[in-house]
Amino acid sequence: MNVIECTELGKRYRRTWALRNCTLSIPAGHVVALVGPNGAGKTTLLNLAVGLATATAGAVSVLDGIPAGSPDALDRIAFVAQDAPLYKNLPAGAMLGVARNLNRRWDDQRARSRLAGLGIPLNKKVGQLSGGQKAQLALTIALARRPDLLVLDEPLAALDPLARHDFMVSVMETVTADGISVVLSSHVVAELERVASYLIVLSSGQVTVSGKADELVAAHGTSLEQIVLASMRESESGVAA
Amino acid sequence: MTAITTTTRAPGAARRRPVPWSRLAWVTYRQHRPALIGAAVFLGLISVYLLIMGLQMNHAYAQVASCKPAGSEACLHLKNSFNRTYWGGGGSAMEAGGAQTVSSLMLTVPVLLGAFLGAPLLAREFETGTFRFAWTQGCGRVRWAVSKLALLAVTVAGVTWAFTELFTWYYHGFLADGQVSRLLPLAFGLLGVAFAAWTLAAFALAVFFGALIRRTVPAMAATLATWTVLAIGTAVAIRQHYQAPLKTTGNPPNDAWVLGSYATGPHGQLSVNQLYQQAPASVLNSHDPNAFTNWLAQHHYTLWTSYEPASRFWHFQLIEGGWLLALSVLLLVAAVWMVRRRAA
Repeated sequence: MNVIECTELGKRYRRTWALRNCTLSIPAGHVVALVGPNGAGKTTLLNLAVGLATATAGAVSVLDGIPAGSPDALDRIAFVAQDAPLYKNLPAGAMLGVARNLNRRWDDQRARSRLAGLGIPLNKKVGQLSGGQKAQLALTIALARRPDLLVLDEPLAALDPLARHDFMVSVMETVTADGISVVLSSHVVAELERVASYLIVLSSGQVTVSGKADELVAAHGTSLEQIVLASMRESESGVAA
Repeated sequence: MTAITTTTRAPGAARRRPVPWSRLAWVTYRQHRPALIGAAVFLGLISVYLLIMGLQMNHAYAQVASCKPAGSEACLHLKNSFNRTYWGGGGSAMEAGGAQTVSSLMLTVPVLLGAFLGAPLLAREFETGTFRFAWTQGCGRVRWAVSKLALLAVTVAGVTWAFTELFTWYYHGFLADGQVSRLLPLAFGLLGVAFAAWTLAAFALAVFFGALIRRTVPAMAATLATWTVLAIGTAVAIRQHYQAPLKTTGNPPNDAWVLGSYATGPHGQLSVNQLYQQAPASVLNSHDPNAFTNWLAQHHYTLWTSYEPASRFWHFQLIEGGWLLALSVLLLVAAVWMVRRRAA
């Protein structure tokens, strides 16, 4: 089963192609790191996969052939956008209530015990939470939806090192407990090295590397970070030439 | 993957039951509670003022209405004093706050209320990026948008409709014997279904501009401008054409909405201005009050007054309410369509 499958997928905003001719299959059961420099099209690809954007060319399906953005897809995919947008003026508890009432699937017990475990008070407003707490609240809401696929767009970008660590521990605990698939994007590969079991490198709207982490490491004989850097350099010089 | 074996998603299973509207209604209520409380306080303060003034006014008017014999010197004096005190328009502070001023100010309530509640509805989601959260939840963005817009539109229209009852009671003294025509722009927009319809239209405009511009404050400004042009244009140029006006050579009824005068003569139709230009200065400046009338008769002119009779009030209300409702629905549907189409 593939959690995300793109065939010649393209997205154009006005005149510029944010993503072009992207064909890839992401198999289930992995923590997938989607890596690439800023502006490589990571967010565009994820937006297309979760149904926030519609493709200009090609097609994208999720969870074994379900069209992206369809009710069935929305039901089974939880997405946390960059900077974890939540309603700032609502208390954390009410934010849970909003999410509960916007979804058919919801595990309230899980959400509440998770927040309790993290020490996030339900009566504190979302706007008053720290960056790390806010990211954890967004992750809590995503996990309470009991998704088959969890999509995180730059989840670590706004967090300090300790919060990054805690966040990734939370994600890995879930993967171990639920066996769900995770796709997360980042422009820094170093912190994903230990957690990612599948790597996709995106550069100027095109896929340059795609494969299982252990196989890539075995084939290249270097670390994931070196593979990513080498791939980015290659495409950069390709553009220059 | 374990999840694929879950029974609810068996292949070919019956269509999923969508998220119930009642739960989406709770989300709308919870998210917009502060704005709704703000609007309620705003209307509440106006209500208290109308209630206090209305009690005084209706008490004073009861004396005018029960004065016998009607038409006597004493009764006319009482009536004039009632008008002076409560209609306003004079120099004193009390008169400045009379019913005339109150109804003028009240005419702006629909746009204030509509812009305040409608503009942030979608624009705030775009400004803060929370649409990325809302549109990726299980209920889907169209259902999300429809539940919000429908619930708030019905609430806004319902509350303002109820509010009209209070205003009508407050205004009773001036409407009762036709001192103020119900069709007069100052009154028409605050009575019947017009007040609610104009508020709904302001709300729909604000939601529409919020979806289009994606910024709260510019959406409010656009709503204010568009609504004002629409409301003033309707009052001065459109409303009188809902039904062809009646005309009379005598005096129109006391409670009619007088639109204007013109003259017909041997050379066709003339406006009052043209008539004044033709009449010699000796006639216009004459001390004889009948000089102008006599001059008109000599030159075979007939003076007409066109007016809308007060009996057409509900007919006009339903026409105006009808097209405003249609416009509002159209704007809200367009907003939902934009939400559906909008790519992140």
